[in-house]
Amino acid sequence: MIQIKGLTKIYKLNKKQMKESKTTNPMKTAVDDLSLTAKPGEIYGLLGPNGAGKTTTLRCISTIIKPTKGEIYVSGHEVQKEPEKVRGKIGFLTGDIKLDPQFSVDYMFNFFGRIHNIPEEKLKARKEELFSYFEIKDFSHKKIKELSTGMAQKAAIAVCLVHDPEIVIFDEPTNGLDVVTARSVTDYLKKLKNEGKLVIISTHVMSEAEKICDRIGIIIDGSKVAEGNLEEILHETNTGDLEDAFFELYRNKKGGK
Amino acid sequence: MSGISQIFGKELTRVFRDRKMIFSIFLLPVIIMIGIMTLVSHLSSSAQEDVKAHNSIVYIQNAPAGFEEFIKTVDKNCEIFAVNDWDSAKEMIKNGDADLLIEFPEDFVNMVSGYHAGDVVPQIKTYYNPSEDYSSAAYEAISTGALEVYRQALLSQRVDDMASLSVFTVNSDNPDMIIQDEEKAGGKMLGMMLPYFVTILLFAGAMGIGTDMVAGEKERGTMASLLVSPVKRSSIVLGKVFALMTISGVSSVIYVGAMVAFMPQMMGQGGLGLNLTLNSKQIAMLAALLISIAFLYSAIIVLFSVFAKTVKEASSYVMPVYMLILVLGITTMFTTKAPQEWSYMVPIYNTSLTLQGILTQEVTMMHYGMTLGITLVLGAVLVGVIAKAFESEKVMAI
Repeated sequence: MIQIKGLTKIYKLNKKQMKESKTTNPMKTAVDDLSLTAKPGEIYGLLGPNGAGKTTTLRCISTIIKPTKGEIYVSGHEVQKEPEKVRGKIGFLTGDIKLDPQFSVDYMFNFFGRIHNIPEEKLKARKEELFSYFEIKDFSHKKIKELSTGMAQKAAIAVCLVHDPEIVIFDEPTNGLDVVTARSVTDYLKKLKNEGKLVIISTHVMSEAEKICDRIGIIIDGSKVAEGNLEEILHETNTGDLEDAFFELYRNKKGGK
Repeated sequence: MSGISQIFGKELTRVFRDRKMIFSIFLLPVIIMIGIMTLVSHLSSSAQEDVKAHNSIVYIQNAPAGFEEFIKTVDKNCEIFAVNDWDSAKEMIKNGDADLLIEFPEDFVNMVSGYHAGDVVPQIKTYYNPSEDYSSAAYEAISTGALEVYRQALLSQRVDDMASLSVFTVNSDNPDMIIQDEEKAGGKMLGMMLPYFVTILLFAGAMGIGTDMVAGEKERGTMASLLVSPVKRSSIVLGKVFALMTISGVSSVIYVGAMVAFMPQMMGQGGLGLNLTLNSKQIAMLAALLISIAFLYSAIIVLFSVFAKTVKEASSYVMPVYMLILVLGITTMFTTKAPQEWSYMVPIYNTSLTLQGILTQEVTMMHYGMTLGITLVLGAVLVGVIAKAFESEKVMAI
């Protein structure tokens, strides 16, 4: 279970960043008083355009960055008070997180398994399961730098799931993957959900959100503008599909501009 | 504490599994060092031999009869010419075409033979060019050698009993004149060089790997995968610092070993005459101090790498620190006064002093403890700062 209570994240911009975003205000609010609850056994999707604050929210949950205000509880542990415990419960993956290119997939898998204190027997079983699911076995002895983008992404996913986490956090899970690999990833997310785990993803792909998310939180400019399952959101916005619903909400938020 | 050993292991595996890395970190510097030293010693010894083989060219003005014989007894191959034109002879010395110019007073023989008490003592002038090796050698051999023999010969014509002139001699027959503790003397010599070498070795060995270990991981985006694992930031830092210590330690052991093994080749025959024997207490003291220095240096390198975004940036931060540490290492090479009490409080500088002190057996337990303590405490403080920096999202740029 993830509970976010009044999360606010303000970045301080340096001069270069201020110039880039054409502003004179050195404070940038990435997430503005966001609250949400995601429960075990569901896939929760954070949907929003680029720069809406999805990734920032996921990073706050993963303890990589610290909230400016608000609290986040992950399986009962507060992210700022017990960051190590939180990290032990989650598997976090994004395109920015990469595996050491000089090592083989096997080595990285074992390394992170040991970092998570997984007994050797269990580690072996996990490896068998994940490597055969993601079809990694053929190239598991290869160094990461020798792998193609899709293979490396599969390897990274397998490594981040080594400890069989209760909560899986994926930032743009299918970004940069071919159709076949993307499908195997989304299928695996559904499998995790069916096993009773909580999966929280961020995406800007409407069809992905429609297809796999049980509940969707739409974020625009750092605030949550709608939340619920697909029907609820469509009903609330009085629209026929998620894309229309999103633009309806977007117009409202931006004051009809 | 969990995670330290895994991260330590991973960092070592990265280095020791990679043949290219092993070669570039452990072997290449040694090969370069031995190569350069061997070349330098070879060149300098062949230069010396060349000077020896050279026939000195000596110009003499107003040479008294028989003087040439005296020169030939000292340097039998030297070529002697009479001066025709004084200025051109001087010019030849300046240009290196001639090696020595000797000027006798015009009536030198008469001045000597007709000398009475109170007369002006005749003066022989010699000219040479110290920037020419041949000229310096000729000056040494002839001006201070042959002329002295010549003087003695003329003197013996004037005085019957030469021994009465010497009054006394100093150490003309005293082979035991040097009284020193051989161990201490060897330690003095090595103590001058060792702190300097230890600095170069421990720091330089860790520099390349250390920057890659932290700044490189940030640059490649692999650091974040560690940061989302349930390992304490301080464990990540310690794992990396310990791995770096080990690598720099191994590289300096290889370096020192190679230097000792190849010393004869590098220094020419005879070496430096170092005869160092260490007792077990000295070895234990050295070992503990060297480990703590490796710890401090590794922490310094990691600290600077944490604040850099790329390996390149990290290297440019670390380089000035390396220079500073080198300078501190050199200063102890040239201090003769006993160090002040407070100098044992200055980090890094105190390690150089103490290393020297251990080898010369002059360090007190108080000073040793102080140095060891300060080094370890500073290292620990830096590790704390690094761990804090790891917490900072700004520093880690994630």
